[in-house]
Amino acid sequence: MRLVKQYVLSLSAAARDGWNHFWFTPADPATLALIRVAAGAMLLYTHLVWTLDLEAFFGPHSWVSPAAAATVLRDPDGGGYAWSHFWIIRGPFALWTAHLAALVLFAMLMLGLFSRVVSVLAYLAAVGYVNRIPGAQFGLDQINVMLAMYLMIGPSGAAWSLDRLWAARRAGHSLPPAQPAVSANLAVRLIQVHMCVIYFYAALAKLGGITWFSGEAIWYAVANLEYQTLDMTWLARWPLLIALITQVTLYWELSFCVLVWPRLIRPLVLLMGVPVHLGIAFCMGMITFGLVMLIGCLSFVPPDLVRRLLRFPSDRKAGQARTDPIHGARRLVAAPPKQPSK
Amino acid sequence: MGAQTKPASSRSARQLAAWHRWSPARRAVVSALLAAHLLAVLVGPWSRSILSDFLRGVYRPYLQAAYLDHGYKFFAPDPGPSHLIRYELEFGDGRRVEGMMPDRRKHWPRLLYHRHFMLTETIPSPLLSPAWNPELPWEEQTLSVPQQAYVRSYAAHLIEAHHGAERVTLHLIEHRLANPPEVLGGMELDDPSLYLTRPLGSFTRSPR
Repeated sequence: MRLVKQYVLSLSAAARDGWNHFWFTPADPATLALIRVAAGAMLLYTHLVWTLDLEAFFGPHSWVSPAAAATVLRDPDGGGYAWSHFWIIRGPFALWTAHLAALVLFAMLMLGLFSRVVSVLAYLAAVGYVNRIPGAQFGLDQINVMLAMYLMIGPSGAAWSLDRLWAARRAGHSLPPAQPAVSANLAVRLIQVHMCVIYFYAALAKLGGITWFSGEAIWYAVANLEYQTLDMTWLARWPLLIALITQVTLYWELSFCVLVWPRLIRPLVLLMGVPVHLGIAFCMGMITFGLVMLIGCLSFVPPDLVRRLLRFPSDRKAGQARTDPIHGARRLVAAPPKQPSK
Repeated sequence: MGAQTKPASSRSARQLAAWHRWSPARRAVVSALLAAHLLAVLVGPWSRSILSDFLRGVYRPYLQAAYLDHGYKFFAPDPGPSHLIRYELEFGDGRRVEGMMPDRRKHWPRLLYHRHFMLTETIPSPLLSPAWNPELPWEEQTLSVPQQAYVRSYAAHLIEAHHGAERVTLHLIEHRLANPPEVLGGMELDDPSLYLTRPLGSFTRSPR
């Protein structure tokens, strides 16, 4: 009994410490800022494309009329909590004004101008768009909104942003990298966990089929003329290759949520995602979807590596800021004194 | 021995210091919110079961309001046939115009094409038509209320978007996927035998 009690106490202490370490260790906001730039650009492009046929999708006589959207979004009991600012917009002037305002918001998010406020408004705007036109949505929108949601949480404008440049200008000198923040870690961790959930459920759904097991699924994906942008029908002569790509994709998705965490194999797991998502992007014409999944995967890139790769002038100056090679967070302890040279 | 244990203890001290940036009360509140949100993230795509239905009921407002209610079923359970809509517009002056949705020649860039493609793919979506049985002839299938709402809305849009149009007839086309032996045997991906057509109905102006 004493052993059991001891085990339970050890387990709960380890769980508490692990939870605290995972969620509440301050992190350099560099990774979050990079995701802000990329996700902001994707949100801007995604919504800019609506401009080409705005009234056909959001006007009163749109493909999915407000009445049809309400019917689809309503629960069987008649209720529903999906909302959109487009419900209260009447007339083309208001529609175009709201759309242009949203484009400005997404551009500001990408550039990092008034990031904290703009990230909240950008998320609300993105949800408003997707709920207005159910039926025209696909995975791109789910990931776009997910990223916008978590960008609200952390200081995403603390690097690579106009906010940062503005702060430096006001200070009259270049600034060192932003201090590590718990909220930056929270935001990135939430993206990481959400990406794991997405891949896991995507794989589970595939397990309910036949062709992912039989090794033919990739053939049927690339042989779909409506998706196809690159003619991959030469694969018909290579059934073993089709089966290999199919099952590597399936097992990569299924194992992502486990294998992405050990640091040694994380780069390999992430690198596997590049051909998977670029294959979707360039063979099946879903460039935006392929890229937005890779943006989500950026959350697993440590901030010190982000800074090293991007090498902005401010980083070189603060290169002296010591980083934790494991978590990328700047250490909070004082540097050890230098050993006198012998 | 003491020198070996020092790094571990200093790491613990560092982590402790880092966590203490936030007070225990603040961490407790945020932890509760995190747990609630993470459960929502899991419940959204959870397949149907008594437990998931219960949790989905609890979380429904949050899932819907935050746009988290997704299955993440990308090309699952199996990559299936495509669905297109062919339309025939009849004008007051007797003209007839036919069109296809999506249309690569008209819908550019690719994302705009994909938006139109998703509109047509939505009609036979299992989410909208749980009772849809692909084994039955299409004529024997009944469209659910959301499916009918989509079809009526597409028809109304086409009539409004084409000045002078009085009537539109819609057909849902299923484009079956050729298998490798068929392609090796010389079949093209757009072989006419791969297409099945089902009428969706004829609609006159102001069907909304």
